[in-house]
Amino acid sequence: MKWLELLTVAGATLIAAATVVTLYSLGVRLTAIAADAEQPSPGTKRSLAYLCFGLCGLAVLFGLYLIIPYFSK
Amino acid sequence: MVALVIALALFFDFTNGFHDTANAMATPIATGAIKPKTAVTLAALLNLVGAFLSTEVAKTVSGGIIREGADGVQITPEIIFAGLMGAILWNMITWLKGLPSSSSHALFGGLIGAAIAGIGFGSVNLETLLQKVILPAVFAPLIAGLVAYVCTRLAYALTSRHDPETGSKLTQKRGGFRTGQIFTSSLVALAHGTNDAQKTMGIITLVLIAAGTQAPGTGPQFWVIAACAFAIAIGTYSGGWRIIRTMGSGLTEVKPAQGFAAETSTASAILASSHLGFALSTTQVASGSVIGSGMGRRGTTVRWSMVGRIALGWLFTLPAAGIVGALTALLVNTGVVGILIAAIAGTGAVLFMFFYSRKSAVGHHNAVEVEEAGQAVRFAKKKARAKARADARAKASAEAKAKADTKAQPKPRAETDAAAQSDADATTPKETQR
Repeated sequence: MKWLELLTVAGATLIAAATVVTLYSLGVRLTAIAADAEQPSPGTKRSLAYLCFGLCGLAVLFGLYLIIPYFSK
Repeated sequence: MVALVIALALFFDFTNGFHDTANAMATPIATGAIKPKTAVTLAALLNLVGAFLSTEVAKTVSGGIIREGADGVQITPEIIFAGLMGAILWNMITWLKGLPSSSSHALFGGLIGAAIAGIGFGSVNLETLLQKVILPAVFAPLIAGLVAYVCTRLAYALTSRHDPETGSKLTQKRGGFRTGQIFTSSLVALAHGTNDAQKTMGIITLVLIAAGTQAPGTGPQFWVIAACAFAIAIGTYSGGWRIIRTMGSGLTEVKPAQGFAAETSTASAILASSHLGFALSTTQVASGSVIGSGMGRRGTTVRWSMVGRIALGWLFTLPAAGIVGALTALLVNTGVVGILIAAIAGTGAVLFMFFYSRKSAVGHHNAVEVEEAGQAVRFAKKKARAKARADARAKASAEAKAKADTKAQPKPRAETDAAAQSDADATTPKETQR
């Protein structure tokens, strides 16, 4: 049967979605903190937020890279 | 005959496109993340790109479900014609009636019905059907829903802000998710291209194999991929306008963070299963995700009666399209006159439904699938919140348990399904009392 493949799909879905959501949420949170008043180092927080967004984008691109058969040949 | 079938297949691809634009783009349009015009253009472009990315699903459709080649039975273009007729008619009927349904299952149902009526029961590869169509249909929405639930929880947990001293809530500032939705909904459109355009490619390849112009067991040719990609892109683009014109308030209860989580899980579920060659329904995955993300947000409850209605629609799709396909196959088997009658009747029915939809009131439109899933998720009153949370927890554990059961042996699945159905029925009166 295909239980193993089904499990693979479930696992891959969970890992991919959780990674993207976690990174993006951290980015959103850091942006929010950076925008706060009386914040000691908004610049650092903001750049960290952008780092999170960037990593999130990279994760998506890496996922696509794994899927597209053109690259794995 | 081959040309006719290819034209019909491309038309099916077109209907598939406008049926499913809502899956990807309804949420960001509703939350105001993207302008409607930009959204459909984006969706169309990404469908086009997605169609070129992977051809795993096309291979599933073209090879396996119906036994082809030397050792199996000979399927003719006529059978495929009948199957497509069944799929298109069922697609149009459900679209007109506003019944949420899956274009993919309509396609498989039509083909199976036509093969059984035209050739016999031996022509359908039941094991492959079960493994590659039925099982994913049951599990894909569950997986997507569960993942969406986890992701929504995660997103809210990571962005909830409290004052460290007083413990009172600060402004949450989750506006960033609205921008994120642009990207996630694009991913869903891309995933839709990799999965749904493949199905038509598979059909055309099946026709070419049946007509003897292509060797059995080979993948789709390049011009087939290109034609299907463009058909689904055009369908997506034109379908979008109907949705936007009639897009109501159905999805406004889904917050950007929920939408972000739901779309991410939809896209990853579809892409992962496309990669492994499962031909699952984008509609079902998207609905599962929306419901899952609804359960993941505090103070939101799911309208199980609505979920039951959607599930019923899914249950009917396969046999109903199969019956139409079987009838067409019987008609086609009588000869050239039968084919002509079927073609004219089919075209007439499609045209009639199209003009009928023009006249009828707003609501008979293709956005209904996602919209109903959105309506199924509702913000609860304060009193009901505790109950909703308990329900969500119970549901999640029940799902996990059901999965474990089914892993052990496939049979009890039907029982748990029935139990879930009666559960849904039981909660309905309470819903109306409130």
